[in-house]
Amino acid sequence: MADPFKPRAPFAPWDRRQLPGMFDVEETARRVGNYKWAEMKLFEALGGWIATVPELDVKMRLGTHCYHHAWHAELWHKRLPELREMNPDRLTVPANDAMVEFVAALTEPEAPETTIEKLVGVYRVFIPHFISAYTFHMNNTSEITDAPTIRTLKLALQDEFDDWRDGEMMLQSLIETPEEVDRAAAHHAKLEKLMLAAGGIAGPGSIGNLPAVKGN
Amino acid sequence: MRKFFPVDSLARDSRFNQITMSQSQADPRSPLMASDTEKRPKANRLQPSRPDASDAARSLMHGIFVGEIQALEGAGRTCHDFETGTEAPFALKLDMARQAWDEARHVEISVKLSEWMGSEIGQYAENTVLFEAACSTDPVLRLAGVNRALEGLAIDVFTTMKDFGGIAGDPYLEFCEDWMLADEVTHVKMGSDWLRRITENDPERRKKALEFQSVVDKIFSFGGTRSDSQESPIGLARRFRELAGFTDAEVEDIADVSLRALEERKEFTRQAQADAVEQFSAS
Repeated sequence: MADPFKPRAPFAPWDRRQLPGMFDVEETARRVGNYKWAEMKLFEALGGWIATVPELDVKMRLGTHCYHHAWHAELWHKRLPELREMNPDRLTVPANDAMVEFVAALTEPEAPETTIEKLVGVYRVFIPHFISAYTFHMNNTSEITDAPTIRTLKLALQDEFDDWRDGEMMLQSLIETPEEVDRAAAHHAKLEKLMLAAGGIAGPGSIGNLPAVKGN
Repeated sequence: MRKFFPVDSLARDSRFNQITMSQSQADPRSPLMASDTEKRPKANRLQPSRPDASDAARSLMHGIFVGEIQALEGAGRTCHDFETGTEAPFALKLDMARQAWDEARHVEISVKLSEWMGSEIGQYAENTVLFEAACSTDPVLRLAGVNRALEGLAIDVFTTMKDFGGIAGDPYLEFCEDWMLADEVTHVKMGSDWLRRITENDPERRKKALEFQSVVDKIFSFGGTRSDSQESPIGLARRFRELAGFTDAEVEDIADVSLRALEERKEFTRQAQADAVEQFSAS
């Protein structure tokens, strides 16, 4: 049996976590507040749309996904006080005005014939931007000091990927004609331009800024 | 997308046929519409011994299915219709999102159970009265109407259906109803807790909400479809209602309202039949 009193390294050879991270506490709290605001807008939109879509399978999926995003909002809400923000509402804000404009355009479709537009907004624009912002955050924050945020990001990302897959499959099954392909693409382009103006879920820098390379 | 969605705009595919409460109550196939007191069965409780048990169970299951769709839609609308903080607490909206997921599962379960019982989507009409209770512009009234009255009814219905599954030797039905019943008790408790919390310092609002609940309870008694009487197909699940946060006095109130609704329905039927006879004699 191994000697229990033999000194061991505090980090095992397979544990390669690093201390440095890109975000300080304040910047992390700002991003988390933006995430919470965006997740709230998403779960409210999904909930509201349930009554407006005639397709039974879509109706049920929206109900399921509504809860996923509400839960993410709750996780971010609980994280904020741990990041020295004792009034979580103060940081529960959109990244900028363009983000507000994006959400207004996202939630505009209501008619029962616009399920494609509703799903394109959520599953081809909003959720992919959550995935990219969360992935960037997870890969760039301190793996040791900010482990609680990483845990939440991982839990949320699992849902985001699963929901994106559900949504994309629903869309592919709903789009039956070239005209519907055009409709989906037009709405996608409209919303993607608004998201471009917003700079992502947490504003410019949501997925970092690419460093300039010499010679370019 | 607008706030507050009207019941006549609920989106459905072509299989669904929506009807109003009065159309539903006037359906001559209802056992409570029997031509006279003598012919009306003394016991309508859903049991396998009833000659029409299979069809009655299928009809009830379809009613559960469309009710779950409307409950899903109602919970979703509460997430959307009220501003967080100023109109509804964040935690309340989180509860409603959770309920939307639960109701979505209930739709899935009831679709599969309907298929298991041999019926199809759209085989029976959809009464949209349930969503109407979810249209209040006050979230507290909505919780009283939906979570306490409607979900309370769901407790009664699921208990009846679970018992039916047990007596009929259908473990599949009994198993599923038991799970749905657990969720419904949670939803009613959510409603009870929020009602008390939000109106803690606003007795007038609480009174208004409880009055609204009483009205909805009476409507949801479906003219006597749910009561302690054996004449009602659905019983009152007293024990599960207590688990869900109803006080003894509240359960007694619902029992009284339900019995009154049964008697009013019988009187309405008697009067309608007397009028019809009179009109026929005069022609």
